Amino acid sequence: MTHRQKLVGALVLLAAFQFLILFAGFFAPYGFAAQDREQPFAAPTTVHFWDTQGHFHLRPFIVDSESSEARVYPVRFFVSGTPYKIAGIIPAQVHLFGVEQPGRIFLMGSDAYGRDQFSRFLFGGQSSMLAGLIAALLSVSIGILVGGIAGYYGGWVDELLMRGGELFLALPWLYLLFAVRAALPLHISQWEVFLLLVSVMGLIGWARPARLIRGVVLSAKQRNFVVAARGFGASDAYLLRRHVLPQTYGVLLTQMTLLIPQYVLAEVTLTFLGLGVGEPLPSWGTQLASLQQFYVLSSYWWMFLPALLLIPLFLVFYAAADALQEIHKTVAL
Amino acid sequence: MRDCWARPVGDCLETLLAVKNLNVAYRSADGSTQVAVENASCEIGAGEVLGLMGESGCGKTSIALALLGLLGAEQAQVSGSIQFRGKELLTMGEREMREIRGSGISMVFQEPGIALNPVMRVREQVAEVIHAHKQMSWEKCQEEAQSALVRVGLPDTPRIFSAYPHQLSGGQRQRVTLAQALACEPALVIADEPTAAVDARSQQELLRLLQQLQREMGIAILMISHSAEVQARLADRLMVMERGRIVEQGRFEELYRRPSHPCTRAMLRAPMAADDAEELDFATVT
Repeated sequence: MTHRQKLVGALVLLAAFQFLILFAGFFAPYGFAAQDREQPFAAPTTVHFWDTQGHFHLRPFIVDSESSEARVYPVRFFVSGTPYKIAGIIPAQVHLFGVEQPGRIFLMGSDAYGRDQFSRFLFGGQSSMLAGLIAALLSVSIGILVGGIAGYYGGWVDELLMRGGELFLALPWLYLLFAVRAALPLHISQWEVFLLLVSVMGLIGWARPARLIRGVVLSAKQRNFVVAARGFGASDAYLLRRHVLPQTYGVLLTQMTLLIPQYVLAEVTLTFLGLGVGEPLPSWGTQLASLQQFYVLSSYWWMFLPALLLIPLFLVFYAAADALQEIHKTVAL
Repeated sequence: MRDCWARPVGDCLETLLAVKNLNVAYRSADGSTQVAVENASCEIGAGEVLGLMGESGCGKTSIALALLGLLGAEQAQVSGSIQFRGKELLTMGEREMREIRGSGISMVFQEPGIALNPVMRVREQVAEVIHAHKQMSWEKCQEEAQSALVRVGLPDTPRIFSAYPHQLSGGQRQRVTLAQALACEPALVIADEPTAAVDARSQQELLRLLQQLQREMGIAILMISHSAEVQARLADRLMVMERGRIVEQGRFEELYRRPSHPCTRAMLRAPMAADDAEELDFATVT
């Protein structure tokens, strides 16, 4: 498998996953806040194709054995259910699948309030992935600015910026976040908390990409065609924009794919600790926050499923980064 | 007319560039310096071709880079005096220097394969030179870049204009760098081994083109080349360098007939001697 194929494969998987998350309203059978107080911590629902007599059914069904007499609910596709908004604008109520009331389908089990874990996972992805994306973009943009200037001008500018970067690397950012959160009023909107969290994560993380880009710029500015362009009267700004920074794009892209899962994980961790978005808004962090109680994990293993699902997701990100790096290396040679 | 080039410039040609006691010393990482050019002095008159010869690593390219102010302060120590049209370049501000680069003094860089940006179309690379000096729209610059490319003998087709450097042959790439250097009609062009990366036939074509353009546009050329053939073709006067010092300079014919320095003799006569040897071998065999 060539690196290009690997990259395409990873990108297709990522795109498919983002698609699921983006249209969570459609793919999730329930809204993220829909509760069923009758069924807290329900185990994942088994979807059957064969009935007790061993007959195969093309339409899968589920069995509700909680009530006094077991009832069978066929899984229906394109059913109307909880209203939601496509892309936050267009109202809709068609879901990909669902079962008739009062039956409930919990593919990943339900949480303490009887909310569908699967639906919450998809909706939670919206805030978690968005956080990762924005924070990574922020870090990389500051990184390219600082690293580009430091590498290009060298001398004391370089010293100043890079020592500043080291200061940021040395910061105990988790405790800094606690401090920032503590300094702010207790009651601010969820959206504000989210933005604050993301911007602090992004602002703190610029040093690593900046160092990387500085290194690339240092060698890029020595390239003959850059010297040549300077010899023809190009200004510094032009050289940076047109000849030097384009040479860093490969590294930037790789860095971006590495940073996104890192920041997603950071958001999950911070939310887990109660610093991020709070209930009832879903995020992978709030979903996993229930694991803080030991008995939850020891009795209801499915509460751990969101964390397990993150592993393949991150692996795909790293595969993409790996392929990007290899491609960049072959192109550069 | 040609006769007065025998004397150092000044008598009949307006002095374009005067270099006095130029020193270039590269800084190394451990703080020590490495002298590359020592007390070099020379003059170039308007429209004159001055040849600069010397072995590899003797400081030819360092002189070229110093003339354009391309050696940064953190990279090298440059001292002495470089006067272009009566203005001192070494103490000039970056902004003024930028105006001179490309439109006053221009350079054809060694090895076009790496002197051109691999991910930019050649027309854009010529256009950016024009854009840096003339107040014109980018579209207008591109049009002018096309005529600059045609002027250096590249075929007038969109295939060439919108090609990336790797899609062109070595000779064509060298012509693109020439088009870049000539795009703003500079008074002086520094040609750093312009034919080193091309085959013998392209070399002949390029030299002919350079000669023709030099006569048409009246530009002065500082021709850096270790090839006696190239120098014989173009140079009015010749300067020979050895280990950072200029050891001899004078009219080409004079140096060729009566080289007074062993280095000059070696540089100018070496290929000829090889030819002689070949003839000799041939004679003994037959």
